Amino acid sequence: MGVPTVPMITQRFEELVTTTAFKKGIPNLRIVYTPHPITDRPKDLCEKYVAGNDPLAGRPMLGEIYAGLTKKLSEEDSRGGFLKRDPRPRLFEPDTRDNLMEFFHQQGYTDGNAIILPTEQKVAEMLKATSREPDEWVGQMRPSPPHEAWYYTVEMVAVNAVMAGAKPEYFPAILAIAAKGVTSMFSSTSSFARMVVVNGPVVKEMDMNTGIGALSPVNRANSSIGRGWTLISKNLGGSGKPGETYLASQGNNLSYNNLCFPETEDGLPPGWEPLHVQKGFKKSDSVVSIFSGWSINDIAWYSPLPQHEVIRGWLEHFFSFGTSQATLILDPIVAADVASNGFGSKEAFAMFLAKNTGTPGWLYWSEHPRELKQAQSGVEPYAGWLKQGREAVVPVSRYMGRRRNSSSFISSQENNEPTTSIEIVVTGGGTNTFWSGGDFGYVGSSSVDQWR
Amino acid sequence: MRTKSLYIMSVIMIALFGSSYGWVADEEKIVVMNPRGIQPEIRKIPMAPRAETLDGRTVYIVDTKYPNTKPFVEALFEALKSKYPKTNWIVREKFAGYMDDDPKLWAEIKEKNAAAIVVLGH
Repeated sequence: MGVPTVPMITQRFEELVTTTAFKKGIPNLRIVYTPHPITDRPKDLCEKYVAGNDPLAGRPMLGEIYAGLTKKLSEEDSRGGFLKRDPRPRLFEPDTRDNLMEFFHQQGYTDGNAIILPTEQKVAEMLKATSREPDEWVGQMRPSPPHEAWYYTVEMVAVNAVMAGAKPEYFPAILAIAAKGVTSMFSSTSSFARMVVVNGPVVKEMDMNTGIGALSPVNRANSSIGRGWTLISKNLGGSGKPGETYLASQGNNLSYNNLCFPETEDGLPPGWEPLHVQKGFKKSDSVVSIFSGWSINDIAWYSPLPQHEVIRGWLEHFFSFGTSQATLILDPIVAADVASNGFGSKEAFAMFLAKNTGTPGWLYWSEHPRELKQAQSGVEPYAGWLKQGREAVVPVSRYMGRRRNSSSFISSQENNEPTTSIEIVVTGGGTNTFWSGGDFGYVGSSSVDQWR
Repeated sequence: MRTKSLYIMSVIMIALFGSSYGWVADEEKIVVMNPRGIQPEIRKIPMAPRAETLDGRTVYIVDTKYPNTKPFVEALFEALKSKYPKTNWIVREKFAGYMDDDPKLWAEIKEKNAAAIVVLGH
């Protein structure tokens, strides 16, 4: 900013803020800390906080602010230049397998599970699965927007693919994921999860599991491709260090594998396009598609209602951190049931759901204080909705009118055609009428073929 | 008797060879590759010079609008105003969400030769 500045941060984020200040080029930034948290604290407690000490300095908070804005700078703080970073050797010093495995764990290079040690020979085998040069840049990735981005080559992705236990034939799919530059370990205090769906001929080429247990750890490709993304996010994207580059308060178990599965394209009902075709690719293309969210439910509800009504009812009352987006993962027999009730495409079903789901009253009114005031002042239609009771469903969809990250849907929006944030994917073995639903939203797709 | 001695010696040899072979395998040193990506270089930013006093100067208290932190920002403003009355303390909300940049506000603070306190969540 070029003016004397003091940032105030809660004490819980000391490690984050000091390392971030270093990475932004101000290693001695004058930071003042407050007790944690300051959100949702009553007025009298806030007054007590500011009258008290900076909890880390142990000195009065106001005095620390004043000193931070007035104390004379050292010569070092007034100087420009470059800050020293740790060197990055391409190879590590020779050591035993046990010691190296321990070293990788200690350095935070793993997901806490054993890895395949990336010898030059194994990495060379992996590299044979792509026509790209080892030193070609693949992309950049960062833990979250305020963090610095790290850069990586084809060879560096191959090292992580070996560590994840991937076969060389999976490598183009892993490169396609890495090329998107989206971390699977997003650094937020909310515990994000990611999902990756694979479509096209590469599914059969890699022998992925599209059947029973498609979302379970029973197939090497499903497992190691998803795991590879986690290792890439840590080692090439600089994420995963708790308190510094990973802040998820509770964390997310889905991050071990990132819900990596293929769509069961041969189980799609007539008229239902595979996900990658919906996103503008040809059916013969091989594609990975990335989603972001937090949580997922696995559901089968035996009732006289048809499946589409059960799903609609669930979607109306579904509540999680991401309240305005949803992805449904339908077993092929659920998709067939839905299609038999007149839904000739995924888009038709998604639009039906978006148009026919309201918002639970408690959620709507808590998120719309202005409308609540209008309702209380008798302004319609809010007053009529509130008259039904605070808990009654409000006829406003949470899933309409949001842009999808696909060129076709952007143009749809420009034409004022309605859009929905609901995505539908089909996978599973057809052993029962199960489906999964969660707060995942579509992020983007990437061609596998360009990395062959 | 001789057959029995030979048998025992063979067992000892096999055991020794086996353990020796195992020891060699465990202690064999190998070279592995670094899984880390390339970190960017960091250009050091000189800190802005400080005045000896804030008397007569303006200090912006920048509220980044982290949810439900307004009572803290207000308490801070009142406390600073009371303790340092010769300084002109101003509370300003930053544009958009707490993650968004606000170059216009930064330019305004610089143009007024003011100082700033940036209050973040959580």
